[in-house]
Amino acid sequence: MRKYMPLLLSSLIVASVLGLSGACTRGQKTVKTVTVYVSEDQVFSEPILKDFQKQTGIKVKAVYDTEEAKSTGTMNRLIAEKNNPQADVYWANEPIRAEVLKQKGISAAYVSPNAKDIPSAFKDPQGYWTGFSARARVLIVNTKVKQKPNSISAYLDPRWKGKAVMANPLFGTTTSEIAALFTLWGDQQAKAFMMALKKNKVAVSTSNGESADFVAAGQYDFSLVDSDDGVNRMRQGKPVTIVYPDQQPGQIGCFIVPNAVVLVKGAPHPQTAKKLIDFLLSPQTESKLAFADCAQIPLHAGVKMPPEMKPISAIKVMKVNYAEVAKKMIEIQPFLKSWMGL
Amino acid sequence: MQKRAFLIGTTAILIVIGLLPVISMLVKSVFQNGHFTLSAYHGLLGSARQWVLIKHSFTLAALVTAFTTVIGVPLGILLGKTDFPLRKLFLFLFVIPLLLPPYVTAVSWFDLLGREGLLAPLLGSTLTQHIGRWLFGLPGCTFVLFSVFLPIPVILTVAFLHTINPRLEEAARSAAGWGRVLKEITLPLIFPAILLSALLVFLLTFGEFGVPNYLRYAVYPVESFTRFSAFYNFKAATAAAMPMAAITLLALIFESAFLREGTYQLQPLPEGAQRMKIHLYRFRSGVVISTTLLLLMIVIVPLLSLIIKSGGFAVYLQAINKAGESLIRSVSYAAIGATLLSILGFFSGYLIRIRAFKFWRSLDSLTLFLFALPGTVIGIGLIRLWNTPRTNFIYATPLIILLGYLAKYTALTSRISVTQLAHIPSSMEEAAQMTGASWLRRMIFIIAPLAKRGLMAAWLVGYIFSLRDTSITMLVYPAGHDTLPVRIFTLMANGSPELIAALCVILIAATLVPATLISLLPLFKRQEVWL
Repeated sequence: MRKYMPLLLSSLIVASVLGLSGACTRGQKTVKTVTVYVSEDQVFSEPILKDFQKQTGIKVKAVYDTEEAKSTGTMNRLIAEKNNPQADVYWANEPIRAEVLKQKGISAAYVSPNAKDIPSAFKDPQGYWTGFSARARVLIVNTKVKQKPNSISAYLDPRWKGKAVMANPLFGTTTSEIAALFTLWGDQQAKAFMMALKKNKVAVSTSNGESADFVAAGQYDFSLVDSDDGVNRMRQGKPVTIVYPDQQPGQIGCFIVPNAVVLVKGAPHPQTAKKLIDFLLSPQTESKLAFADCAQIPLHAGVKMPPEMKPISAIKVMKVNYAEVAKKMIEIQPFLKSWMGL
Repeated sequence: MQKRAFLIGTTAILIVIGLLPVISMLVKSVFQNGHFTLSAYHGLLGSARQWVLIKHSFTLAALVTAFTTVIGVPLGILLGKTDFPLRKLFLFLFVIPLLLPPYVTAVSWFDLLGREGLLAPLLGSTLTQHIGRWLFGLPGCTFVLFSVFLPIPVILTVAFLHTINPRLEEAARSAAGWGRVLKEITLPLIFPAILLSALLVFLLTFGEFGVPNYLRYAVYPVESFTRFSAFYNFKAATAAAMPMAAITLLALIFESAFLREGTYQLQPLPEGAQRMKIHLYRFRSGVVISTTLLLLMIVIVPLLSLIIKSGGFAVYLQAINKAGESLIRSVSYAAIGATLLSILGFFSGYLIRIRAFKFWRSLDSLTLFLFALPGTVIGIGLIRLWNTPRTNFIYATPLIILLGYLAKYTALTSRISVTQLAHIPSSMEEAAQMTGASWLRRMIFIIAPLAKRGLMAAWLVGYIFSLRDTSITMLVYPAGHDTLPVRIFTLMANGSPELIAALCVILIAATLVPATLISLLPLFKRQEVWL
């Protein structure tokens, strides 16, 4: 027996390695699966995907983004895999990336029956992406500030010189909002706004979360952040409040950032992919995401949500075309890099 | 014939797994639509930011190398050559940070000193802000990486001290005190170890991604990862990786010219030889107290802060519930990876030891080059090479992770095998050959059993490094196959600090339990030199 031990051992290793590869491929054929790349934070998205798995019996395989990749790692993986798609569905945490994928020919059209009650401003007219559960770009303000800012133009007010902070405009929803301002105001006015930010000594943090922490700690008076950052700090009992900016007549409104779900072109499992998309676009999913710590605003009317959140119908929304914002976002990258001194 | 085929096979595997992805990445970075172009490199050299990154990377690597060498070598002498009490326990404890993904140590310091940290109420907000600025930057990165890589000079010093012929020191001691003997005999003899450890620490720090990324200090590996991951710019990512590859190559040329023979001459003491011990006498209490303080500061306090932060049993249950599958995958992939690494390392070590081919030195350099190359570079290369429909059996399965482990860590198992094989007299193999045993039979029935301690050590080192890997796995893992270190990273975005701390503690346990069990085996009770 001892004589054959090395042979047995080496066979076992070869078998386990081959088995590892084989099991993965075989598993895909026998068990219904769906592969989803997710840029929404794992801590919020995973429970939803687990619910889907539990309800349908379809096994979900996911790749999540890291904070370090600024939530664009999975999108870039989709681009890298254009000629060899591995994913069926992309769950983006904002529609701009979904637009980029559409423009690069990586997504396929699918109009989900659950998308019909979602306002048309938050979905692609051809069905290349559909929005759900949104964040609003709000001002988080420390409660010690007596006269609260109510517009993003407060960043330029000398009263708050050196007392306001914003996240790095090269990444995430801050880039999207700045690109949205460029489409709304035109290049000249938007660039002037950006230069005036510098003049008024607006501080730049690494992320919206850090900005919210700075305001909560009293280091700065206010910051433009995502609504989930603000609601989270309020739920933690931090001395902050949130203000939906530019809500008065004649003002530009509040920039809304919905999640977006995309069917990947050439998806290995198109049927299960569509089931997952339908599930994500359901009012039930929106309600779960509203009550979760991410505190996202449902886009379906009449969905249950926590009292500290405003329904989408009560918010004056910034009117932008997300496709134009996506194009503008790429266009202004060199300007933003030079604005940051890179 | 059998031997030649096997060793050529080993070389081919190393080239396909390790070198081909890097070459493929390099070639693709200089071609656009079939035409040769250096545009990505022009962009790189033309940007002022690159010089800032180079300066940051060099400063960080130089500071960490200086601190680890200045403190690690005396510590190694203390734990390897004196009558310091509980030397083995101290050595084991000092090594712990090296066994973990470096960012775990960074997380633990943040849990302790951050704005919401355990010490925040005691320190007050002003001091916490100052410390936060210190932690998130060059000083914090230097301190964390110092504690992570300190074990390298300590272990190498201890290992080399064990190979010094005691007669040399005995002769010197008859005419001089220990101070002079250490300065004029011992330190010159272990000088290759000091240089080797400095080189390793420099390269590992230079290629480190997790800690500077977590502590937001802009260095080259972070830039390369960001260019790939956040901007999806393969060409720019490759270009950003090339200075790191060039510096790694330069360091290896240095190692090849000045160190290699010195490190390969590592031999165990002759039977019955007694090592000379330095008695600390009146300095003992002071030395013990200061060493304990250092241990507390860089190992125990961060570990304790993680344990305290993780809270109670409920958090651990939640952690297991959220990441149990990732833990199982981590342990399984690390175990399979370690087994493959031991086998590949054994044959490559054999090839290098007997200098089977003229290119033995090149093969050794290749494994070392891949080890020193930042994981992000290897990860990007693997994606470049294997992301095709025909190779989905690799790209879309955990085999891609295993290939990453083999590419990156074969140098370790190979070097352990070289040292272990040096202890086996060639007469053993020759005797078996005389009886007509084939080469493969000689390997399986004579050499492998005699080298079993080395193989076990190689497996353990392969397991630890595979388990702690983040940089390669994070880039290449297929959907549904994330490992625990990767899951900790992805959960860091808005995950609760208690959960992250609990997951870090679980990862530490997954690393230390097998390491402790294996080190307790009777096989490891005797004195061992692995390096």
